[in-house]
Amino acid sequence: MKRRHFLLPLALPVLAASFLVQCGPSSDGGSGKKPRVAYIGNAIAPFWTIAEKGARKAGAEYGVEVEVRMPQDGATDQKRMVEELLTRGVSGIAFSPADPKNQLDLMKTMAKQTHLITQDSDAPESPRLCFVGMDNYQAGRLCGKLIKEAMPDGGSVMFFVGRAGQLNAKERRQGCVDELLGRPEGERHDDPPDAEVKGEKYTVLGTRTDEVDFAKAKSNVQDTITRHPEIGCLVGLFSYNTPKIYEAVKEAGKFGKVKIVGFDEEDDTLRGIQEGNIYATVVQNPYQYGHESVRILAALAKGDKSVIPASKFVEVPAKAVKKGDVDAFWAELKKLVQ
Amino acid sequence: MKKNLGISLLLLLVCVATALGNPNFLIPYNAENLLNWVSLYAIIGVGVSFVIITGGIDLSIGSVVGLVGTMLAWLLTKKGWSVPAALLVTVILSAVIGLVHGLLITKVRLQPFVVTLCGLLIYRGVARWLVHDGTLGFGTAYDGLRWFSNGRIDLPFLGDYRLPVPLVILTVLAGLAAVFLNKTVWGRHLFALGRSEEAARYSGIRTDRLVIVSYVLCSTFAGIGGILFALDVNTVQPASQGNFYELYAIAAAVLGGCSLRGGEGGILGVIIGTALIRILINSINILGIATQLEFVILGVVILLSAITDEVIRRNRGRRQLKTATPTG
Repeated sequence: MKRRHFLLPLALPVLAASFLVQCGPSSDGGSGKKPRVAYIGNAIAPFWTIAEKGARKAGAEYGVEVEVRMPQDGATDQKRMVEELLTRGVSGIAFSPADPKNQLDLMKTMAKQTHLITQDSDAPESPRLCFVGMDNYQAGRLCGKLIKEAMPDGGSVMFFVGRAGQLNAKERRQGCVDELLGRPEGERHDDPPDAEVKGEKYTVLGTRTDEVDFAKAKSNVQDTITRHPEIGCLVGLFSYNTPKIYEAVKEAGKFGKVKIVGFDEEDDTLRGIQEGNIYATVVQNPYQYGHESVRILAALAKGDKSVIPASKFVEVPAKAVKKGDVDAFWAELKKLVQ
Repeated sequence: MKKNLGISLLLLLVCVATALGNPNFLIPYNAENLLNWVSLYAIIGVGVSFVIITGGIDLSIGSVVGLVGTMLAWLLTKKGWSVPAALLVTVILSAVIGLVHGLLITKVRLQPFVVTLCGLLIYRGVARWLVHDGTLGFGTAYDGLRWFSNGRIDLPFLGDYRLPVPLVILTVLAGLAAVFLNKTVWGRHLFALGRSEEAARYSGIRTDRLVIVSYVLCSTFAGIGGILFALDVNTVQPASQGNFYELYAIAAAVLGGCSLRGGEGGILGVIIGTALIRILINSINILGIATQLEFVILGVVILLSAITDEVIRRNRGRRQLKTATPTG
């Protein structure tokens, strides 16, 4: 009989865990009649936490229940989440396709069963009713202008990103490259991410990817500094890349010699701008993505189609945050997410 | 020692080739970074070698790295715990995880693969649930604590080269592990148990207890690695922190002469194996080889080393058989 006792220490953690789960965050209030809409991101990141806040705020304002889903594994998880949501029944979905070209069937299914809008990342060939977001290519152009400001005499540039193949990364990068090489506004090239592109004053050395492994994101920057000690500017295309660039440049003692420009508004990025060690960041407005998406879905759920513009594009433009305006921007951001 | 000769030569070869290809390989900045990363990955590699020597496997290492990192950031920045308390709790948590693995494997007689695969899922999920998938950063408030993961100690006579603090931590941990494995009776028992659990049990070795100890050590080392990884990158994303690190650790152990069948392995070999993996990655980056080929090169090197190992073993076995067979 003595042998049975070992089960007790095993059972306790399980019990404790199930107790914890009971006290955990509850996913919905389950209040009867309100229409239910869904907001689906394309990764797990602070960016989407802010978007979620905007979505929930709009949910409260416009009287809809909001289901928020963030996939860990990009397109694969999204498919499962969409299927679950459609089974449960939702009157609208705001979707950020992780892989727009290959998720067309999924989006067609969604559009057939409910109101589908895209946000953050668009899929123009899909039957979505409209797109809420910014133009990533234009944001890339803006980033290119900032690099020129930071490095007016020219120099070399390296990009860092989680997944180089993802559409928003591609567009940001291309906008940036076109701007640095002085290509005219209407001209849109398609340079492969790992190729070196030489312009008159600026040279784009390539793109380093890390598959969203933070340790790799940092070591990629270190290896770049080793390989190109004279590099002029490091650019972070995904939100977490810029803080990792900051870390590595700091440890290399190269603040001032190597300029940093990035995207999005992570705390460490904003702090770096305050210190003057990061030149600038291009920010989207994820809070507004969430808010606008849910506002549109709520109206659609109530039969109001006037919220869809003729262009099918609800623009939430990108803007640059530099040392001069970082304090005001940060204060506003903190207020928004409270 | 003989066993590590091949891989040590390979390591040297890669170093020389890289240094010739890009002299910046040897500058203090790169050397320090490399040693820093080697130390962090080798700590979890040393941990898993205990389990591999017993013939087991631990697939949950990456998730333990993720959970411990998340927990540390959460306790410090969200719960306002003191640094010693948070460190203590996270290390104890990882030891308890190992204890549960060991008990499930020895007492409930579940296969290590199954137990630790479930661990991989559970700890990752708990980490994500704990902080609602949010990214937690240490900010600038813990720069002192971060010395453990990215500090540098000035050395006399070595000019600009400084000693990364994680290397010191690795040296201490690996030293203890090597003494345990090679100089104590438990270490000898561990090898015996890996060769044949039944034979070891019939010789009076308490094999269950040893297996449990090996899993506790493995998870504890993973936990210490997890703390250092979290501090080094300064932000923890529970969904991705430490993903697949178990595979790096297992690959390093195999490269370093551990046999997945159990009964073989050594601490020095694991460290050299880790160094080879990290230096290959560094080399690919600073030589400007297409980074998409990174995994290809890693896979090929590990495969070649496994093949070489097997051929050598077979030859040795044949030779021993020859000398043992009476010829007259």
